[in-house]
Amino acid sequence: MRRAGRFLRLSCLGLPLGFLAITLILPLLSGVILSFQADGFSLENYRFVLGDSLFRRSVYNTLILAAASLVVEFVWGLIFALLLSSRRRASFVTEVSVLMPLLIPEIVFLSVARYILLPRGYLNGALAAVGLPAVGWLDPRSALCLLSVALVDAWRVTPMVTLLLLDGLQGIPAELYEAALLDGAGSFAQSRYVTLPLLKPALYGALVLRGVDALRIFSTVLVLAGPEGAPVMSTYAYQLWGDAMEEHRAMAASVLLATMIGTLGAVVIAFRARTRASGGGALEGLSG
Amino acid sequence: MSQRFKLLEICRRALSAFAVVTAVVPIYLLIKQAFSVELDSFAWPPRWIPHHLTLEHLHKVTSTGELRESLIRSAEVATVAACTATLLGTMLAYAMTRDLRARRWGLAALTASRLLPMIAVALPLATVLIRVGLYDTPSGLGLALVHAAIALPVAAILLLGAFAKIPLELEDAAFLDGASQLTILLRIYLPQLKQALAAAFVLSFLSSWDEFGFGLLLQPTNRTLPPLIYYYAVFGDVGAASALALVSTAPVLIVLVALRHILIRQPKPPAF
Repeated sequence: MRRAGRFLRLSCLGLPLGFLAITLILPLLSGVILSFQADGFSLENYRFVLGDSLFRRSVYNTLILAAASLVVEFVWGLIFALLLSSRRRASFVTEVSVLMPLLIPEIVFLSVARYILLPRGYLNGALAAVGLPAVGWLDPRSALCLLSVALVDAWRVTPMVTLLLLDGLQGIPAELYEAALLDGAGSFAQSRYVTLPLLKPALYGALVLRGVDALRIFSTVLVLAGPEGAPVMSTYAYQLWGDAMEEHRAMAASVLLATMIGTLGAVVIAFRARTRASGGGALEGLSG
Repeated sequence: MSQRFKLLEICRRALSAFAVVTAVVPIYLLIKQAFSVELDSFAWPPRWIPHHLTLEHLHKVTSTGELRESLIRSAEVATVAACTATLLGTMLAYAMTRDLRARRWGLAALTASRLLPMIAVALPLATVLIRVGLYDTPSGLGLALVHAAIALPVAAILLLGAFAKIPLELEDAAFLDGASQLTILLRIYLPQLKQALAAAFVLSFLSSWDEFGFGLLLQPTNRTLPPLIYYYAVFGDVGAASALALVSTAPVLIVLVALRHILIRQPKPPAF
């Protein structure tokens, strides 16, 4: 009887984990093996990728895009979270509007953003209406293209940051503000010494989740700029795989991206273990 | 003091207005393009208000073979993915509920699977699927399995939160009455999880319905909706792309607006 229960629990653990291993981990590992193959085992694919100037540009673009997008979405995410959590509850319309970009399917949002930013799109139309010249928002030769992609990405994911920060804000007990008020803290002191320190875990968790997403950005770039317009690491690999038919080199590039993200993840987990050991941050929920 | 309140109130109003405008504009443009004739869509300067309305694009979406097929395929893939993810997610959450070691393993696996970049999995997976004959099939079964794996962590964590709310005493009482573990799972736990199960199913369904990258790479000819919208939007037909996008957005919006309370208070995994 006991043993039957044990068997049930073990299979309940084993089946889902086995499924994850077969569909996600196994392909990843076989990709790692294939990336070392070029007439037998060699580093040739990595040598090619690392020597390719387009790849170096795509690494640079990935990092710039991630940084720009993160800054914008965290500033706006925090503002919206404060708006939604303030004592006077935001209306239903505001609530839904703030979440809207997240609710629309990604590809739908991106294609509309593309129609807005095209040379003969709605934004340039609006500029022309007030007598301003047209701007090449998605022109692959200009640095503006990267900025446009970053802004659209930030626009789309700000609701997610808002939700994560809102969760942190709602967890701060109101008594703390009352106590601070009694101690004579003004609104600035309150946000500096109550809100900010207590929001840190949520901020930190959101930063990791979004940081990983920003590094593996794919569809936003593909839809807005095309793989040639502003190559990032994942579109670079996609391009090698699909158009150049260089499967193994593409896998080398994507393994490099996975390594980058994996390193970030490992650093965060190590850091979390350290802060917890020293009795520091309450960083649970990160795994969610 | 009152002047500062006024200023704050103005800021709040302005922010709300900004949020509403940035949310309404894309949806308005989408609807406008889906119902206006092709000439309107290519006009310069672009028209914000359509001159001629038409149902042509919507009709095309429901009558053209390729479009209708991909609509049906997307629905099938999402259904299979959501069923699989909910079933496996329930199992995993159950295993993780009372056992500390299982919980550690589970959380580690879920975290790791959320860190993977799509491209690093999809490229070798295409090779694997070709070998087992599940690459680019009309039914999209291979893609459905991948979508299930992506949705599994979300479903499992949602259910884990629901499991945690069920009191331990209930299980003990059933155990003393002679119920086996399976009976306890099926007759004590499951009935209390109805809401969480429904939420897990809906979220998994939507994540598959919206997924773009794996669909693009694993179903190059037997396409699902998102890649098809991408091709239409980037390589031509504005009206059809918008109509297709509208068809794929409408069910999502209705469900999500109705479920936004679950979204706003998405349960987090309890500390381990």
